[in-house]
Amino acid sequence: MAYQVSVFLENKIGHMERITAVLKAAGINILTMNLNHTTGGWGIVNLLVDQPELAYRQLSDAGISAALRRIVVLPMEDKPGSLDGLLRKIAGAGINFTTAYGRSGRGTAWFVVDTEDIPDAETMLKSAGLEILPDETVYTLD
Amino acid sequence: MYWEKELETLPEKELRQLQVNRLNITLAHARRSPFYGELFGRNGNHPESVNDVKGIESLPFTVKQQLRDHFPYGFLTLPQKEIIRLHSSSGTTGNPTVIFHNRHDIDSWANLMARSLFCAGVRDTDVFQNIVGYGLFTGGLGFQYGIEKLGALSIPAGAGNSLRQIKLMRDYGTTAIHAIPSYLTRLYDVFREEHLNPQKDTRLRLLCIGAEPHTEEQRQRIQEMFGVKAYNSFGLSEMNGPGVAFECEYQNGLHIWEDAFLVEIVNPDTLQPVPDGEFGELVMTTLDRQANPLIRYRTRDITRIIPGACPCGRTHRRIDRITGRTDDMFILKGCNIFPMQIEGVLMKIPEVGTDYRITLETVSDQDTMVIDVEIKKDCFRGDLAFLDKLQKRLTHLIRDEVLVTPVIRLVEPGSLPKAEGKAVRVYDTRKR
Repeated sequence: MAYQVSVFLENKIGHMERITAVLKAAGINILTMNLNHTTGGWGIVNLLVDQPELAYRQLSDAGISAALRRIVVLPMEDKPGSLDGLLRKIAGAGINFTTAYGRSGRGTAWFVVDTEDIPDAETMLKSAGLEILPDETVYTLD
Repeated sequence: MYWEKELETLPEKELRQLQVNRLNITLAHARRSPFYGELFGRNGNHPESVNDVKGIESLPFTVKQQLRDHFPYGFLTLPQKEIIRLHSSSGTTGNPTVIFHNRHDIDSWANLMARSLFCAGVRDTDVFQNIVGYGLFTGGLGFQYGIEKLGALSIPAGAGNSLRQIKLMRDYGTTAIHAIPSYLTRLYDVFREEHLNPQKDTRLRLLCIGAEPHTEEQRQRIQEMFGVKAYNSFGLSEMNGPGVAFECEYQNGLHIWEDAFLVEIVNPDTLQPVPDGEFGELVMTTLDRQANPLIRYRTRDITRIIPGACPCGRTHRRIDRITGRTDDMFILKGCNIFPMQIEGVLMKIPEVGTDYRITLETVSDQDTMVIDVEIKKDCFRGDLAFLDKLQKRLTHLIRDEVLVTPVIRLVEPGSLPKAEGKAVRVYDTRKR
């Protein structure tokens, strides 16, 4: 099982630095991330990092609301149409997700999907013919 | 000129004598209630009657907490069969404040309300649209009975739905309106949005504003918007509701109806009377209420007696507009709100941390209440849906409690100033 760190964040100047300062001090590298916000004036930062458990502990100790959430990372070729093909397969598996983001590397791209609230996501994706990146590779995307 | 000429212009000395007579009758009524029966009966040192109005100073004060502690029937002097109506404060936490009326009380209140409206210039030829909430809130039925007693055509429009209010005003040629001041500013905006001008496109000739503290500047703005005079109305649910004090044509203070209420202004710290002209806490005794009399009730409202006679000829003294409170209650959109009510709701929700902050703001001329709520770190699961649901839940629970829809802002734990002792939880930044 792979995990991302999700952090509660008020939409205010200087607040995201409170998170990155903790990560910096702990020597944690961010591989990819996304940031959203709501009309309520707050949002959530989702971080895919090289050491999620350490990041979670350090953030919590610093009094920041953080959570570890289950994800799957789906690799694809870095070329036009890849994501389209990938999404068709996810749809074919009957999976509806609400949080996802991506990253591209040398010739390969990755699609990160938050599956915390989707039981059996991995089984369903695998049976739909999707390749899921093994945990040890997730934290060393290159 | 007057609704009841003789009573309204009663010479000072006769007015005081009337007060003494009515106070002694009220004391006799009060003794029949469990609360005052106990208070005045056991401690035999309280006099059965007084010889002059100063005599009231030998009696103890009554406070809101006692009304709550002796909920619901502790202050009732009559069998329930005699009671025809109750009005009660909002709230689901703790005991509300409830006031009961028999037929005499309702008639007396309606008459005071009619007298108030007449004093502000309303006549039986007017079409009067009452734009406040009906139901348990006293501003609805209180005005309704007064308008009917006076004989004007009443439109019991209730609160909200500005487009419908404007349609009613235009369909029936409304000439007078009662509303809370912040709503009239909103209503004016809707007039403009509809490309209408209330000064040209209605038959309005006067406004009554109340149930919400406001400044002279706010009144001036409203008068400029609508092109008519706005008369200040004062009341509180413990003293029936509206119809306690009202402005006359001179708009220089509110005549408080002294045949129905005995008025004291006291220093809130020493509880000693202050001279006319000085600000202090308004303390009131009902003089014409049978079912639920209140003796020396501390209203927590700060005002003063305006010295001198009013050119209108009424001898009932005038109070100034309310300048503040001696407790932490605040009024938003006509609703009385205690911070403890909000705290009560928040602290029942396990996901909410210990700190919160209430900010009263004016956003595009609308008063709103923003509540910053800390979420507990351990409850955070990292998903938007959970926080969204929490926010909605808090919004609904607080709305049900205080009858005003708040804006809930979830904030990071530790980002609010820590509550130490009597922390100031309410920041009032409203434009006045």
